[in-house]
Amino acid sequence: MTHRRFVLIGAVGVVALVVVLMVNSLSSGVTYYLYPSEAVAQREQFADGTRFRLAGTVMEGSIVESGSATSFVVSDGAAEIPVDLMGRVPPLFADGVPVLVEGTWDGERFTADEAVIRHDENYSIPEEGGAFES
Amino acid sequence: MLAFVGLAALLASLVGAGWLAVVGAKAAVASKRGEAATFDLRTPTLMIVGGAVASMAVLEAALIFDDFSLAYVGTNHARATPFPFNIATAWSALEGSIVLWGLVLATFTWLVWRDHERRRDTLSAGALAVMGLVGIFFFGLMLTVANPFEVCIEAVADRCLASSPWPWSPIQAPADGPGPNPLLQNHILMAVHPPLLYIGYVGLTTPFAYAISALALTLPGPEWLRRTRRWTLVAWSFLTLGILFGGWWAYEVLSWGGYWAWDPVENASLMPWLVATAFIHSSLVQQRRGMLQAWNFVLVISAFALTILGTFLTRSGTITSVHSFTQSAIGPVLLGFLVLVLAGSFALFATRSHLVASAPRLDSFWSREGSFLANNLILTVFALVVLVGTIYPLVLEAFTGTQVGVGKPFYNRLTVPLSFALLLTMGLGSVTPWRHASGPLVWSRIRGPLQAGLAAGLVTAVVGTRIGWVVVAVVASVFVIGVIVRHLFELASRRSRATRRGLFAEVLHVLRGDQGYWAGQVSHVGVALVALGLAFTANLSVHETFDLAPGETFDFAGYEMTYRAPFQRTEPSRTVVGANIEVRSDGQLVGELQPRANHFGSDPTGIPSPAVLSGWGGDVYLMLINIDNTGIRLEANTSPFIWVLWLGGLVVAAGGFWATQVRRAERKAEALEAANA
Repeated sequence: MTHRRFVLIGAVGVVALVVVLMVNSLSSGVTYYLYPSEAVAQREQFADGTRFRLAGTVMEGSIVESGSATSFVVSDGAAEIPVDLMGRVPPLFADGVPVLVEGTWDGERFTADEAVIRHDENYSIPEEGGAFES
Repeated sequence: MLAFVGLAALLASLVGAGWLAVVGAKAAVASKRGEAATFDLRTPTLMIVGGAVASMAVLEAALIFDDFSLAYVGTNHARATPFPFNIATAWSALEGSIVLWGLVLATFTWLVWRDHERRRDTLSAGALAVMGLVGIFFFGLMLTVANPFEVCIEAVADRCLASSPWPWSPIQAPADGPGPNPLLQNHILMAVHPPLLYIGYVGLTTPFAYAISALALTLPGPEWLRRTRRWTLVAWSFLTLGILFGGWWAYEVLSWGGYWAWDPVENASLMPWLVATAFIHSSLVQQRRGMLQAWNFVLVISAFALTILGTFLTRSGTITSVHSFTQSAIGPVLLGFLVLVLAGSFALFATRSHLVASAPRLDSFWSREGSFLANNLILTVFALVVLVGTIYPLVLEAFTGTQVGVGKPFYNRLTVPLSFALLLTMGLGSVTPWRHASGPLVWSRIRGPLQAGLAAGLVTAVVGTRIGWVVVAVVASVFVIGVIVRHLFELASRRSRATRRGLFAEVLHVLRGDQGYWAGQVSHVGVALVALGLAFTANLSVHETFDLAPGETFDFAGYEMTYRAPFQRTEPSRTVVGANIEVRSDGQLVGELQPRANHFGSDPTGIPSPAVLSGWGGDVYLMLINIDNTGIRLEANTSPFIWVLWLGGLVVAAGGFWATQVRRAERKAEALEAANA
């Protein structure tokens, strides 16, 4: 009997521990996902150093390579944010490409350490005049 | 014309499913009451099977013979699509994939009917009724919101623009179609991955049907488990292969060098697998010791519900955005079915389980039963973690509108320790006796392998790498494999001494004597290999970026590589641009790699395709970052010992398939008993 109770308590204990870890991880491990206009509007909520993801398109002609970073401008048509990418440049990174960068604000600029190209799920020839889908 | 035939076939299946549900229920109730009535279950079953086969045949015929009057063909197929990818287009998009689901469901329904024919008992009649109910949902889905036989009523030269479910509508068919997603045409694994996965998913319907039958008709005992054991193993083995090939394809085709991203769609396949694994283990406990009966009901209902959840997550558009999920009616319909399944099953469970499930005492936690309990706890918690991580963003967005992503850190923090706990339980549990384990006995069985594991870890730390997780993975994997191998040889050599036959002959004898157990051990070896492969590739990969002009040579991962020249070729739907890279080892030409980029129309976003060179030390993986007249930028990665991961996955599935063969041995034993009686 005591043996069974011990097993039960052990099981509950493990589950409780995992739940605590999960809640903890979710609150710190979750990353917000914003478009440039949202990021600019919510500037106060994301202090310098708070991580989030920025999604938008790379503005034509804005890509500049320096020794340590690649700089470009991310736009969603309504707002533009200059980005400094410190990490690896994703494959086939080019003007006009929809991109997702993860990093933090650094004053007026966004410092990113990760970037990926956002593909939509269709991979087919986009219709004429169609904008990229969010 | 084809649309008419296809829709008629689906209608036949739907009617058959409804009929089967009604007559199956009647037959089950009559059988339970002991009445001698006979019911025609064959006709509805044949209607379901016939309709499902015919609908699949119609879809494939339309694809093979380029019938663009069907909207599905006009939106997913192209004349230029090569074999076998034109056949695989049948399941490359939603509506077609449900036809495949229907076909697999019909096959399993037929198998349940065959079981009923043989045994003519209440349990199988009830199971048929449940299969009929599930069939009503899926065939109904195809006749309403996910219709694969809609006809094209408005088209341009290369695609269908609008469709109608009414087959007599005036048809405007395009001359050609856009073809399937090009990433789905690169690799044979992608053609094969959905059917394998679906056999796994749909296969879990059968144990669910038997479980619900046992609950609804209050049939006590582990009979439903015994009957469905083989089906559960088949479904689980196919699910394992489906997940393995999905990851393998992602690695070979998508250009991020990884095979698992905790993507909601990937998680959707992992969750049922985890719960099904727990179920396979705990059903052993129920069959041997009569314990965990109620828990087994919970597991099998959850496994089935998770397959529906998985389909919902993958197909409803919820992942792109919660708010896009109502754009097509399929999302709410699948969600509604899921809620119905959960509510109905658990209501049944709550009211009936005490009638069918008794719970003998656990003698001691330090026993095989105890280790299975630990295994179940770990696997269920693992599934819960994945579920929370997958659902949390959806729930959050539904209630607050904020979009978030749950990334690797969340999953890794929790699943890595859980995985090691699982490995440990696996190693210990396999050699722990039932009922009550004696410490000294278990210690004698694990001491040697533990020493071997620690030694291997030490060697790794000295010669290879100091990275903690890699060393621990080596220790754990060598331990697990060592325990199994040692146990086998201990049993074989003991017999060999007694019978004076050769060791090898006795090894075979031991294996054949308890095939179920040893098949499981084979899968455990596979799991240990997977853990090893994961640890190596996740921690020891090397990345480097190179800027090269044509003719330049660079060194990477022990190879000398030369960028020869760029190339470009035009294909019907895309332009492919890439680089020819020669790979040499010690001056000898080893191979030629072509990392490339695919461009569609005027879309500036190219889709990269990596080039992979495989070897015993691991893979070299090249990705094109940039290419122009002056040169290329290349990213080179290594995937050390990744073949261990693929091999491990195949071994896991092999063990599962081997375990399904045990039935024959049991039947032979039964026949022998009957003959000698």
